[in-house]
Amino acid sequence: MSATRGPDGGSDATPEAGSSRFAIEILGVQKHYGKVLALRGVDLDIEPGEFIVLLGPSGCGKSTLLKIIAGLEDPTDGEVYIGGRLANYLRPGDRDVAMVFQNYALYPHMTVRDNLGFPLKMRHRAKDDVKRQVEAAASLLQLTTELDKYPDELSGGQRQRVALGRAIVREPLAFLMDEPLSNLDALLRVQMRSELLRLHKRVGRTTIYVTHDQVEAMTMADRVVVMRDGLIQQVGRPGEVYRRPANRFVATFVGSPPMNMLEGALRTVDGSRRFEGPAGLDFPEAARLDLPDGELTVGIRPEGLTVVGPSDPAGVAAQVELVETVGADAYLTATVGAGATVTIRVEAETSPGEGEQIHIRVAPGAARLFDAAGDRLPLPGERG
Amino acid sequence: MSQLVGTDLRRASAGDQRIVAGHVRAEHRRRRLAGAGRHLILGLVTFVLVAPFYYVVLASLKNGTEIFSYPPKLLPIPPYLGNYHKLLFETGFPRWMFNTLLVAGSVTAIKVVIDSMAGYALAKLDLTGKRAIFLAMLILLMVPLGALIVPLWAMASALGITNTYLALILPPLANPLGVFLMRQFILGLPNDLENAGRLDGLSEFAIYRKIVLPLIKPGLVVLAVIIFTDQFMSFIWPLIATSSDNLQVLTVGVAALRSHGGADYGLWSAAAVMSLVPIGLFFFALQRQFLARSLAGALKQ
Repeated sequence: MSATRGPDGGSDATPEAGSSRFAIEILGVQKHYGKVLALRGVDLDIEPGEFIVLLGPSGCGKSTLLKIIAGLEDPTDGEVYIGGRLANYLRPGDRDVAMVFQNYALYPHMTVRDNLGFPLKMRHRAKDDVKRQVEAAASLLQLTTELDKYPDELSGGQRQRVALGRAIVREPLAFLMDEPLSNLDALLRVQMRSELLRLHKRVGRTTIYVTHDQVEAMTMADRVVVMRDGLIQQVGRPGEVYRRPANRFVATFVGSPPMNMLEGALRTVDGSRRFEGPAGLDFPEAARLDLPDGELTVGIRPEGLTVVGPSDPAGVAAQVELVETVGADAYLTATVGAGATVTIRVEAETSPGEGEQIHIRVAPGAARLFDAAGDRLPLPGERG
Repeated sequence: MSQLVGTDLRRASAGDQRIVAGHVRAEHRRRRLAGAGRHLILGLVTFVLVAPFYYVVLASLKNGTEIFSYPPKLLPIPPYLGNYHKLLFETGFPRWMFNTLLVAGSVTAIKVVIDSMAGYALAKLDLTGKRAIFLAMLILLMVPLGALIVPLWAMASALGITNTYLALILPPLANPLGVFLMRQFILGLPNDLENAGRLDGLSEFAIYRKIVLPLIKPGLVVLAVIIFTDQFMSFIWPLIATSSDNLQVLTVGVAALRSHGGADYGLWSAAAVMSLVPIGLFFFALQRQFLARSLAGALKQ
């Protein structure tokens, strides 16, 4: 399973100091903890001003990668370039990156003003400078009235903003954010998410954002980096990752409910090719496939399956087991043939009821094909 | 009960009213009795705690005959100040006090610094052999002082520091209790606070100095109190390590009063009272420092 480069990722830039067009470059980074391989060779180029989201389940190495960029962990192998400079041997404070921690990590014995000004004071900036910067950050984050309070007197959202402010005042080359919204309640999280995005548009700094929340990844990222078991699975724009997942893992990890995976086989019968899936489920592109016959997996998003009338020639009978209504949409869990279960998105208003017999078919261009190793095979006429 | 009474009283007949009023009085009496009982117990406990102390203060303000007069005078009026005069001007008491404060003060100041630094290193830094060091310290904690006195004296003697202030200050510094306490305290601090400091450009020492120290202030105060009182009251080691009168500490000096001029209870009492003054002041001075800003604001609960 090879690490897939993004559209701009085919880097042949030589990492000379200061000459790189990338804000951050990661070359062959590995991290071993004893015998455990946390990162197994990661390559990633990040453009200036980009909002990159590292997405993956816990233990996939995304936080480790962030810590290596920050300098809080040393890579076992590989190189990290920040602003074109080899950063492997720079101390965290000399890397020109600022970090926002999952649990904020505000200094409890300092007021908001001191918390914001601390990174500047430690860099021996002039007092007036510090004051101006702190006040600018405070007004940007609506913290002006809280400046003389201590962290324990602030609400969760305010603490989160102070943590952001502490990163902003430094005007670093890049922001590193380690699940910064995961400690907020659902409503505040949505609010802070859009606040963060607005802030990113105003400040325009390169941001690397770690999360396991795919909604955050899909809504915020310029490019999403999907990781698993210490390897990058795919790098791409959110829509691209959703529509053209590089492999089975990305297909099922991104998207909720996940993509339907149907095991089947490609067969040539009487000179015509068809996919033989559960209960004869077929997809029209199968006929044009330039592949040898054999076992295959077809992935179809819930919106790629449509309910059709019983007379539709491509329709396949299915039994509705469960109906989950989410606002305007409803998700049907239905069994097709012997034991295969699929999820189908329908409009809530016209949704069939539980236990009902329906007919479904694969929408044109909705099918994705995966080989035995799990990698996606491009299909002719695939909708981008 | 009384609430119920308040609403119903107006509608009740005169006879009923008398009965109800009787209940109210009984209830009041019961509560007063319970209150009195509580205060009696509190008073007794206070008496048990304060009486010996008061007796010593009293004895220090009486002359030799008054101390043994019967019935004892509970208020020494006029107070007899001869004991204090004798203590301050005819014994080595001022010198003993100076020695004690110097030794206990130095040991406390040095130990708070090195214990917190060692505690930080053991709690947070990536050191090889960290566990072995910690284990060795735990084992040391279990060795009683009595077992150490002889080898300790041999070492001090070999170093040629017996009968010097160094002999009084150096050995207590090796007590691992403080390192252990500090390590436990610092382990409780979240790692991300130090990481934030690292990204803010702090050196390891600056992290210790500017982030860790302010946050473990209550722990430092507890440690200072423990060390100071421990030193203030230590007797065996100072007795063995020094023989010169000039190096005697309070405990040793006061004990030696016995061997001079017979049983002078007034003088001994005055010495006991005067010895309490610095340690009392020390406690009061540090009392407010026990409170530190809670960690609550650093992290999400």
